[in-house]
Amino acid sequence: MTKTLHFGLFVYPGGHHLAGWRHPSVAVNGILGIEYYKRAAVSAERGLFDLYFVGDMLAAREREGRLVAEGALNNIDSISIDSAIATATRHIGVVATLSTTYNEPYAIAERFASLDHLSGGRAGWNIVTTANDDAALNFSRKGHMEKTLRYQRAKEFVDVCTKLWDSWADDALVGDHGSGRFADARKIRPVDHVGEFFSVKNSLTLPRPPQGWPVLVQAGGSPAGIDFAASVAEVIFTAQTKLEEALAFRQSVQTRMPKYGRDPESLRILPGLMPIIGDTEKSALRKEEELNELLHPAVGVWMLSEQLKFRLYDFPADAKLPTSDIRASGKDFTPRVISLLDRADAENLSIRQCGQLVAATRSHGSIVGTPEKIADHIASWFEAGAADGFNVMPPYFPSELDVFVDHVIPILQRRGLFRTAYEGTTLRDHLGLARPIRS
Amino acid sequence: MNKDNKMRLCLFWFPPGSHPGGWRMQDAIAAAESDFKVYLDVARLAEAAKIDAIFFADTAAVQPVDLIEKGDPKAGLVYRGAAGLEPMSLLPALAVATERIGLIATATTTYNEPYHIARRFATIDQISGGRGGWNLVTSQTEAEAQNFGHDTHMEHDARYERAEEFFDVVAGLWDSWADDACIYDKTTAHCFDPTKVRLLNHSGRYFKVRGPLNVLRSPQGRPIVVQAGASGPGKSLAARVADCVFTAQSELADGKAFYDEVKTKAAQFGRRPEQVRIMPGIVPIIGRTDEEAQELRAQLLANITDDQALRSMYRIAGGLDLRKFPLNGPFPELPLSNGAQGRQKLLIEMARRENLSLIEAGRRFAEGQAHHIVCGSARTIADLMQTWFEHGACDGFALMPSYFPRGVRDIANQLVPELQRRGLFRTDYEGRTLRENLGLPRARSQFDT
Repeated sequence: MTKTLHFGLFVYPGGHHLAGWRHPSVAVNGILGIEYYKRAAVSAERGLFDLYFVGDMLAAREREGRLVAEGALNNIDSISIDSAIATATRHIGVVATLSTTYNEPYAIAERFASLDHLSGGRAGWNIVTTANDDAALNFSRKGHMEKTLRYQRAKEFVDVCTKLWDSWADDALVGDHGSGRFADARKIRPVDHVGEFFSVKNSLTLPRPPQGWPVLVQAGGSPAGIDFAASVAEVIFTAQTKLEEALAFRQSVQTRMPKYGRDPESLRILPGLMPIIGDTEKSALRKEEELNELLHPAVGVWMLSEQLKFRLYDFPADAKLPTSDIRASGKDFTPRVISLLDRADAENLSIRQCGQLVAATRSHGSIVGTPEKIADHIASWFEAGAADGFNVMPPYFPSELDVFVDHVIPILQRRGLFRTAYEGTTLRDHLGLARPIRS
Repeated sequence: MNKDNKMRLCLFWFPPGSHPGGWRMQDAIAAAESDFKVYLDVARLAEAAKIDAIFFADTAAVQPVDLIEKGDPKAGLVYRGAAGLEPMSLLPALAVATERIGLIATATTTYNEPYHIARRFATIDQISGGRGGWNLVTSQTEAEAQNFGHDTHMEHDARYERAEEFFDVVAGLWDSWADDACIYDKTTAHCFDPTKVRLLNHSGRYFKVRGPLNVLRSPQGRPIVVQAGASGPGKSLAARVADCVFTAQSELADGKAFYDEVKTKAAQFGRRPEQVRIMPGIVPIIGRTDEEAQELRAQLLANITDDQALRSMYRIAGGLDLRKFPLNGPFPELPLSNGAQGRQKLLIEMARRENLSLIEAGRRFAEGQAHHIVCGSARTIADLMQTWFEHGACDGFALMPSYFPRGVRDIANQLVPELQRRGLFRTDYEGRTLRENLGLPRARSQFDT
């Protein structure tokens, strides 16, 4: 099979630029309905994207007991969005984010098996451990689970889910009218799992999903996250903004994969990418400037405080980012945070500037320019082996997504880097990933 | 009886159908459980018939666990009621493919977290434009407990105590936001009015939940809440919180007694009687004539194997192995079940009343799962429904199709038109939301003055 680019669409209420919803082209009364999500899915499918990606939050965004009046306001349930989208589309994969820290494996295995069945084999699960401490307060927990423990739990959680998906053989459901044999019981087995975090006894309530397992997606960049990704992830959604970092990241995951009995080729890495596109370089830059001007300074400071886990609200906004205090305040910073701190030091950035930086792109890569420039950027990362494609994060919807679909995708197709039609029916087909054999 | 003299009807779709012999009929689609197209067809047929809502059950365990565990090939003979799509994942898919019909899913309070449930049902309500409903259940099988890290399931009364608190947390979370909290004001950069959102700060015996919900208030204010427990604590919970109660009486006098009891209890909780819609479940077996319907029922009953009949009573046998008793002997005494006390009582009463042998009772129980089998022409069945309705024993019915497609089609094409001719059922939807169609007021919240 020839190697091809892979694209995800990361949908987000209001757009990925935190001021995106304030853009004059956005009809604010349309942000919250299912039509918003459907409209984006239909565009992405027109653009032959591999998958449609939905995030998930387990708490309203809050600081100091008060909610901030911006950001993701209406975080409806991700798998529910995907179920609805599966009905409204025919080809595109649907990936939903669900936490292993605040769920039970049996319930999650059931939900993804259902999504895979009802979508005809297009489901994917973005496995997260939930980084937001606030979630604990909504789930009767004393505190948020510590990171190492979260990843240990996640490993066992996924292990239980794959056992559950494999509990039925592909041909276990018989439905033979004459004999009264509904299922072949010899082809259904209980999982009998007893581990550190879970004990799960029976088989799943559903026949094996069409894809065997939904595609397993992961997004953490910390050392614990990388190791976890190497053990299970078939797609990694990353946040690298530099080509060398992306190459190093790929290598660090792929070298760990054989340890878990996995083929390093069975991995697709899709960094997040926010394209800001104009007919000319100048108009693209103007668009970016316009968006940044629409960003309320308080939103940047809040976002920055959240990411750094360091209260910046009482500092003057034009003061230099107190990088040494921040470095001293914690440990276990993600690569994203470290690269932001380095950049703040190198460029002597103020709190306001750093806030703008994180809020504008939510720390993902951003590229501003003409469709050719965006295509060049994508092609160069792809050809260097730094990415297998990108999870596209439009700054606002739907017009910026449409520009990407109508102007960037055709260039990549002309260059022979991207498909001109869907070739298979399942998400695994689109991604070129093998169907797992039942163990 | 409802103020407008109209019944409310829900369609309870339990794949592959509510008659255990149904899937073996020649015209049945046997492996309908994981096929989304079947669910969609059922929903669309029901919507065309102007049914209030379609309703899906859920059990978080496969049955029969013990036989599967032993590798007993008989497991495949008695197997049913599993293999269905998980309803909370199914509903959004149906929501975008339908326009008016209500969509109700079962979710347990025993093995879930209230924040998840509040969020998922608010999501369904948003995606469907106000057609969502939650059938609040407690989990009663050990098989489920063992899938969620427990050896045995929670004791009956504790389950209901947890369910009561669970509901309060969910309802509180649904009320986190005022209806008009979201403003998206481009000039001030404010998405919402911060005075129109509240933390919940719930701290109780089972849950500690700060809130607020990260989903805005849904079109119905609160999705419809359905409850189906027939035990004392179940009825009490229903009377306090339920918009609809699904129940399982098969005798008019029992139905009337249940109806009066729940409505009286609801009044004790300060609710008006018409705020609780009581809907007994019936499995209609419909023929063009009564004789044709009887023949159909005989075929359906004959399709039930001995294994299936005995297995159906597993949950209510109170731990007794019924295989030790003579199949044609009298129905044995059963110890009080920790599982489903209400259902157990109904079965014992039916066996005594009709003088049924063990296997006869088993077939009949398997047939209706102690729900009410009603067999006859559309006129005969409508007569019975009308009697119940006019005698104040129900506000409508939960119709349980025997199998797909015939059981669903007969309800939509024969029974519903007969009820419409009698002026007992709507000929078009009155409202856009499930609440409006059920004739229930929009839920008030803490922000309403």
